Amino acid sequence: MHELTWGLPVILYLFLAGLGAGAVTVSGSVLLRKGGFGSSRFAIARCGALIGPLPVMLGTFLIVFELGQPFRALNLFKLINLSPMNIGSWLLGAFIFLSLLYALTFLPPSAGPGDRLRGVRRALAWICVPVGISVAIYTGIMLGAMPARPFWNSPILAGLFLLSALSTGVASIILAGVFFRRNHRDPAVRDDYDNSSYLLTASDALLIGGELIIIFLFLMFAQLTIGDVRYAVNVILPGGNLAPAFWGLVIVIGLVIPLVVEIVLIVPKLLYGRRFVSIPAIEVAIPTAIIIGGFALRYIIVVAGQITAPAAL
Amino acid sequence: MTGSRKKSADRENQRTSRRNFLKAAGGSAVAATVAAVAVPSLATDDESGQQADKKQYGMVIDVRKCIGCHSCSVACKAEFDVPLGATRSWVEYTDKGTYPNVSRNFLPRLCNHCRHAPCVDVCPTGATYKRKQDGIVVVDAGLCIGCKYCIQACPYDARFLNPLTGVVDKCDFCIHRVSKGLEPSCVNSCVGGARIFGDISDPESEISRVMATNPVTVLRPGMGTEPNVYYIGADHSDEHENKRGWYDVRVTTHRKEKDRR
Repeated sequence: MHELTWGLPVILYLFLAGLGAGAVTVSGSVLLRKGGFGSSRFAIARCGALIGPLPVMLGTFLIVFELGQPFRALNLFKLINLSPMNIGSWLLGAFIFLSLLYALTFLPPSAGPGDRLRGVRRALAWICVPVGISVAIYTGIMLGAMPARPFWNSPILAGLFLLSALSTGVASIILAGVFFRRNHRDPAVRDDYDNSSYLLTASDALLIGGELIIIFLFLMFAQLTIGDVRYAVNVILPGGNLAPAFWGLVIVIGLVIPLVVEIVLIVPKLLYGRRFVSIPAIEVAIPTAIIIGGFALRYIIVVAGQITAPAAL
Repeated sequence: MTGSRKKSADRENQRTSRRNFLKAAGGSAVAATVAAVAVPSLATDDESGQQADKKQYGMVIDVRKCIGCHSCSVACKAEFDVPLGATRSWVEYTDKGTYPNVSRNFLPRLCNHCRHAPCVDVCPTGATYKRKQDGIVVVDAGLCIGCKYCIQACPYDARFLNPLTGVVDKCDFCIHRVSKGLEPSCVNSCVGGARIFGDISDPESEISRVMATNPVTVLRPGMGTEPNVYYIGADHSDEHENKRGWYDVRVTTHRKEKDRR
């Protein structure tokens, strides 16, 4: 096996930056949304905004100290070129700065839906959503930019990373909600909690469905190709070195089980208009599975790209 | 030379006639006629002028003359004080077949100084670039941050992170020797005379004559990198072929990385 040039710090960065950018993007979208979430809107937006910057900064710390010359990291900002890593660095820097400002608007004790920071908060949300999406998507472009790595060299990888980032972002917001928002005395607030939980679960199911479609397309088109890509993708197909981890952790635990459970939960309300009741155990278990799956996805893709190579010399 | 000038003048005429049409459609046919007269002569002069100084250093390795002695690898190690476990230049052995139908072929490897270098495209700091004056792909050790993106992007595995300096390192065609009119160290030390170094863009150079009169190949031509290291008589067999089960192929890289990338 070939030595891994990009190891665990890079894998963790891809996962953490995706999760954080996803959480902030979801937070901003929920905040800017007109209806649906009732009194929960602000609480959900606050969850996402406060979760977001930390993993992104932790991931950034990890990759900076993974560099051969960590103290030269600022050389990235001496110029702008078309390298995805250069553009990504500018985006990442902007995102950390903006998402920290956005999180700060939620911190004062007086912070609430109609406080005096409302305008600033909404403006920052408007900027944070596109920048967050860009941070989530550029990591996939960065890996996909190299013909020498046939496993990565696909435009659909960036789409997969984006959906996975948003999905782990929603999962982290649901998970935080169980601990910080759930136990409220006011029954009206609890109703809103259930309702917002329904919307988050339904959007997560949509994102997971999208991820499964992208993975299906990825595998299908690799199978329909001959040459480098097909040879490379064999490592995650049955019989490949990474197949057990890919099908077990990413597909079954990270995507299929959460999707089935979420569909079972949302269908009564979606189709028959019944009441959606959130169950705490499931609200802990499913997001945890999604987050494990999101990490496994980055891990397997980063490793698979590096242990495979173009077939012909 | 005159042929290429004529061709580019033709191309320029085509372009200007298209421009002509557009401008005539816009109603200013007179201005366009002036442009059609003035532009081609300027443009061709400029282009041919640039072409004249533009060198592209390259190497031909005549594998038939290689005896697999690793002199080139050792000379390179000594020239640059390359740290243990890393190689700028190395020789692979390809063993093929089953006794008595067997062969061993050597494949000396180094940076290909590609025309379309993927490492240059991905470098986020501009530390890696292709020199305009001689086409050598270099790493500016003072700018490189060691992100290893170029190591991922190189289809030839020619780059490594130098553990002593923390920046990326690779073959630079012995830029310090070449700029003083000497040959690269690996060429100088090759006992079989298998390596020919020179300016590929000069049709009178030895390397150009050898390339014109011999069948030459490059590594991974399908990548579209257009390498400037050419081989005569190279065996491109790879271990991937073993899955066909026809004959055994075993590659020994003589590097820390046991597998070829």
